[in-house]
Amino acid sequence: MRHPSDGTLRRLLDEPVGVADADREHVAGCPVCLSGLAAAEQDAAVATAALNAEFAADVDGGWSRLSQAVEDRKPARMPRAWRRTRLRSPVVAIFGVVVLLTGIGAAAATDWLQIFRTEQIAPVTAPEADLITLPDLSDFGAIQVTEKVHSHTVADADAARQATGLAAPAVGRLPHGVTGRPSYFVVDRVSAVFTFSAAKTAQMVARAGRTPPPAPPGLDGSKFRLVAGPVLAATWSAGRPVPALIVARAVAPTAYSSGVPYATARDYLLSLHVLPENVAAQLRGFSGEGTTLPLFATLEQSTHPADVGGTPATVLTSRDGTMAGVIWTDDGYVCAVAGSLRPDELLSVARGLRWDQ
Amino acid sequence: MVSGPPGRKPVRADLEQIFRSSYPRVVAVAARVLGSRDEAEDVAQEVFLTFGRSAVPAGEAMGWLSVAAAHTALNHLRSGRRRAVREEAADDGEAVSPDVADAVVTRDERRRVRAALARLPRRQAVVLVLRHSGLSYAEVAAALDLSPGSVGTTVRRAESALREELNRHAPSE
Repeated sequence: MRHPSDGTLRRLLDEPVGVADADREHVAGCPVCLSGLAAAEQDAAVATAALNAEFAADVDGGWSRLSQAVEDRKPARMPRAWRRTRLRSPVVAIFGVVVLLTGIGAAAATDWLQIFRTEQIAPVTAPEADLITLPDLSDFGAIQVTEKVHSHTVADADAARQATGLAAPAVGRLPHGVTGRPSYFVVDRVSAVFTFSAAKTAQMVARAGRTPPPAPPGLDGSKFRLVAGPVLAATWSAGRPVPALIVARAVAPTAYSSGVPYATARDYLLSLHVLPENVAAQLRGFSGEGTTLPLFATLEQSTHPADVGGTPATVLTSRDGTMAGVIWTDDGYVCAVAGSLRPDELLSVARGLRWDQ
Repeated sequence: MVSGPPGRKPVRADLEQIFRSSYPRVVAVAARVLGSRDEAEDVAQEVFLTFGRSAVPAGEAMGWLSVAAAHTALNHLRSGRRRAVREEAADDGEAVSPDVADAVVTRDERRRVRAALARLPRRQAVVLVLRHSGLSYAEVAAALDLSPGSVGTTVRRAESALREELNRHAPSE
């Protein structure tokens, strides 16, 4: 019979009853397998010694600390939670869309009064408790989705190019452990029209126990059109339950106003005091021209700056470390590389990308 | 039970029960990666805070928490963002050594193990740490959506790679 695999030999050391009788009997009489078993045993012993970390955990102390941490989280300021798109795990197959729609969500949620064109991306970091209490856009008026999110897989790079009009990525060198040919999917353009309502805003501010200042002339009833996409994404999933690598490119989010200047709208939003102060302070720091897309992150440590071919980029790492992403803008496009890889591996992919027309 | 503030996503009602039964395992998983009790407990807090507001079924909690602890701890290693804290903790070590020479050796060994784990492919490192934290092959397989057969293969490869990494960076005699 064939020799059992190395994995079977290894399991024989830990859980012999989990190994088939035939395999056990073979190994007992096979010099080759016995030699393999001895090697496995030696390596296992090295690993056991290296990973030894025995001590008694302080369960009561740990629970006391956790209880305090839960209690210490700030109470909600607003009755509605803003459902953010963000890096999280377990990750679904549309992770690439999530990365790019993070920008769309951000534009819709906080830049809702800008005349906006994405030229750069800047992270806004705050405790999770603050970010999930950001008001929903519908607290300020009415949203009409004019082009819904619609994603679909396509046969190959040519079909993806044809569906989106975007260039397809060519990866110079795949990271270790990423194999096979990519699959492609596209997301059609999404758009929505938002109509500002001074009355609805006043109600929302009143629920937070405040009195809103009067809206600037012309703001009530103003319409804003938000547009993003299409998106083209290539994913490598071979041998993994979630994509190991996703490379995507999208037409950057843009917002159009029915006439209210960006600075007027931004200053009014900030005067409502409905945003957590640390978030508001970071948004105040953005330029008055409406070209910086905020990219929200839940922890201060979860983003850091980098560069991709001289272009400023933001590296995000998910809270549990299972996923990371790099996002940057390139001449009107938002580009992202993400996956279950280390940030340095993703940056290496990003820096080696070519976009084939 | 921990009650969350009004208007927030509620903290799950079974958090304390699951915490008390799982905390030693979660700390142990992180400690195998980090070699530091203090840091392992920090990781465990981070993991349980996330878990507390999750909808992970109770029956899958142990696996979920173990995987999250392994990934979070490996991420701490690889980011290097808390290196200074970690090495200070190693200096003050919870495992008090009988003399200074032993303490130095222990610290250097920890550093080598951490560096070796950081160089392993993530999947191998996670499987290795979970297995050496006492999860059975079936538990590792269920937590990572693998077949039990491939757990053995991955453990074997990981142990071989770990030994090679440790040998490659072994201190010269």
